[in-house]
Amino acid sequence: MATYLEFIQQNEERDGVRFSWNVWPSSRLEATRMVVPLACILTPLKERPDLPPVQYEPVLCSRPTCKAILNPLCQVDYRAKLWACNFCFQRNQFPPAYAGISEVNQPAELMPQFSTVEYVIQRGAQSPLIFLYVVDTCLEEDDLQALKESLQMSLSLLPPDAMVGLITFGRMVQVHELSCEGISKSYVFRGTKDLTAKQIQDMLGLTKPAMPVHPAHPAQPQEHPSISSRFLQPIHKIDMNLTDLLGELQRDPWPVPQGKRPLRSTGVALSIAVGLLEGTFPNTGARIMLFVGGPPTQGPGMVVGDELKVPIRSWHDIEKDNARFMKKATKHYEMLANRAAANGHCVDIYACALDQTGLLEMKCCTNLTGGHMVMGDSFNTSLFKQTFQRIFSKDFNGNFRMAFGATLEVKTSRELKVAGAIGPCVSLNVKGPCVSENELGVGGTSQWKICGLDPTSTLGIYFEVVNQHNAPIPQGGRGAIQFVTHYQHSSTQRRIRATTIARNWADAQSQLKHIEAAFDQEAAAVLMARLGVFRAESEEGPDVLRWLDRQLIRLCQKFGQYTKEDPSSFRLSDSFSLYPQFMFHLRRSPFLQVFNNSPDESSYYRHHFARQDLTQSLIMIQPILYSYSFHGPPESKR
Amino acid sequence: MAGLYVKPGNKERGWNDPPQFSYGLQTQAGGPKRTPLTKRVAAPQDGSPRVPTLETSPGAPPMGPPPLSSKASRPPFVGSCPPSSMEPTNFPVVESEILLEDVLRPLERALEDCRGHTKKQVCDDISRRLALLQEQWAGGKLSMPVKKRMALLVQELSSHQWDAADDIHRSLMVDHVTEVSQWMVGVKRLIAEKRSLSSEEEANEEKSVATTEQNQTVPGIQHDP
Repeated sequence: MATYLEFIQQNEERDGVRFSWNVWPSSRLEATRMVVPLACILTPLKERPDLPPVQYEPVLCSRPTCKAILNPLCQVDYRAKLWACNFCFQRNQFPPAYAGISEVNQPAELMPQFSTVEYVIQRGAQSPLIFLYVVDTCLEEDDLQALKESLQMSLSLLPPDAMVGLITFGRMVQVHELSCEGISKSYVFRGTKDLTAKQIQDMLGLTKPAMPVHPAHPAQPQEHPSISSRFLQPIHKIDMNLTDLLGELQRDPWPVPQGKRPLRSTGVALSIAVGLLEGTFPNTGARIMLFVGGPPTQGPGMVVGDELKVPIRSWHDIEKDNARFMKKATKHYEMLANRAAANGHCVDIYACALDQTGLLEMKCCTNLTGGHMVMGDSFNTSLFKQTFQRIFSKDFNGNFRMAFGATLEVKTSRELKVAGAIGPCVSLNVKGPCVSENELGVGGTSQWKICGLDPTSTLGIYFEVVNQHNAPIPQGGRGAIQFVTHYQHSSTQRRIRATTIARNWADAQSQLKHIEAAFDQEAAAVLMARLGVFRAESEEGPDVLRWLDRQLIRLCQKFGQYTKEDPSSFRLSDSFSLYPQFMFHLRRSPFLQVFNNSPDESSYYRHHFARQDLTQSLIMIQPILYSYSFHGPPESKR
Repeated sequence: MAGLYVKPGNKERGWNDPPQFSYGLQTQAGGPKRTPLTKRVAAPQDGSPRVPTLETSPGAPPMGPPPLSSKASRPPFVGSCPPSSMEPTNFPVVESEILLEDVLRPLERALEDCRGHTKKQVCDDISRRLALLQEQWAGGKLSMPVKKRMALLVQELSSHQWDAADDIHRSLMVDHVTEVSQWMVGVKRLIAEKRSLSSEEEANEEKSVATTEQNQTVPGIQHDP
């Protein structure tokens, strides 16, 4: 048992991967009987201070349907300078640069300890980071002042060549033209009318003049710097003017009558932000940062009316189908989220108010794009200020911890297929031999897009064993999976991180003990929890709990040792002993129990659960008890 | 350089608002690597309650609420520290009045140096903000930590330590944004302009040294001044 714990820990440290099962049942039938699916928790950009990136591009398998990256599991013929892909068995020639390799002179990607390698892509234009602030001005004076100061402070934390833009909104939406000359201009939009992307781009003057476009060479944004730069400018040019502009922001001037909420056009503001970036910087890493001090009350995406006597929807209202605006609003934000994700842009929401702000309807914006969701009581609190500062925290190399525009691709050996992923991603709809027909989470694809991620962003990836029952164990006895993440690093370099892992197959009927001993109960708990939370988004609460309970019962039936009719004889081996208490706490947690939480709060908790790494997720399910005593008050800590 | 302190949160506006860590604490790299306290104890299977053996690693101090983002920037548990800032003074003079002139003059000098190299509008903008700084300082609106750190910033600027000066400006923006936000961006720009001016000057120097050497190897050719 101790060896497996060490094995699990070493693998997590090196590859950022934890599997529910570390010895795999070799047939589909046996795998389903295991109850907990074969799945893993992957942190694609796990911080590896000891792993310097290599300055060359990866070597790929030449089979067009494979294209796996050279890895330590590949067989290599050093004399003939050939390598065999371990996924499709294609024999490939090494490129000329590898002419000097030998058994004693291996490239890093073939060495066993480099199961994870990060490559830096030297070629291609490097686009700057883009930050678009979308700011609600229907705030109390103190709150607005605190928010303005935080935004001004953030200008000092951003790198000098980052591009920045500002949209403010209340009853109207103002897109500010950033210029270094004296007079500041802005384009004003009505907050009641939604506009298409094209209309927004036309009204802001972003449409490029008609010119013949070669289908293989789409126009790059860099070719039209004058058009794109009016609303998004680099910090080193615009910081002083933008600081003044922020300092001069006033509360929304429209008076709010007694008994009414301020008219807040969040839906249109976000729509304009997405349209602006779509038109100026498509397919570049960008962050839309939305700051709201209350719910949207006007226009498309409104979540509640402006009468204070009609409260915002609660879970009770939703159950009784009494939430008037929910479906339409959710649809509006889902459409925006999908457009942003398609362009590689991520949306953050910073919502600080004493009442709900519509996070339930807007959550797709952060969940599909990998943006942050921050929920607080006021912008004048250290919770907001500190969290906002830490968005811009730097790693040991002085680079931001944020990454953009990531694509995650999963390749499996023939006996496995990918059933889906649960996390802050959207599907890229890439079909292929690795894709299973049974979907768990976001399925039907072997590639996903994660527009915004950081070193702790974590996905749950679910697999299906496809070997037939009684088919012999594959030659070599091991199955393999490769995770390839292409992304834009915060230094604007494009990078590729490749992680290749392998685990032994075992026949479940004769070697069940081995499979049991290699069970990772912590990973299994989090993976089942993610499945449960995913289900809870579309199913009724009691159904999800019933499902979870049934899975626990089946697992205990399969792996528990007991004598019939004797409850006190029930035992679980060490590798399963913590699992029941995780399930105990999970089914009572705010992730699956919505009682005593508002819809916004439930959305907030679930948002964080679906992206945190394993340790944080377990702490969220069951906080760790360090010590307790029956003899008096807590002792003072050392 | 920057202070290392923890302020309480805003209990009036935020229920259970967490304490606020200063810029210095936030940027501290990791601190001593503590073993993560993630060992759990399984429920007893035979039904009898027993005293759980503590499986936490000895000597590791239990910390307060975990920091909000990634693990590498874990500040040490400083709950017992006094809430006032602990500013290290690098000045030989003890607790004396930091003179406005000592801070403003080097900044104005730096601005003058940049006049040829930087656009007029930018220079005017910076100059306007320096005037604002002067007004606020003279009017007693700036706190002691701000004055101390500004003096330090000016020192670093004069010694051409651009990164250090930049870091101090950032720490002031993070820790004292209310006091400094109106004029600090001017100081930030000034550092950036001085940095680019000085690297231009270095490049020009290198070029002229190269041409001088070139000319020296060819005697008889007149070197134009």
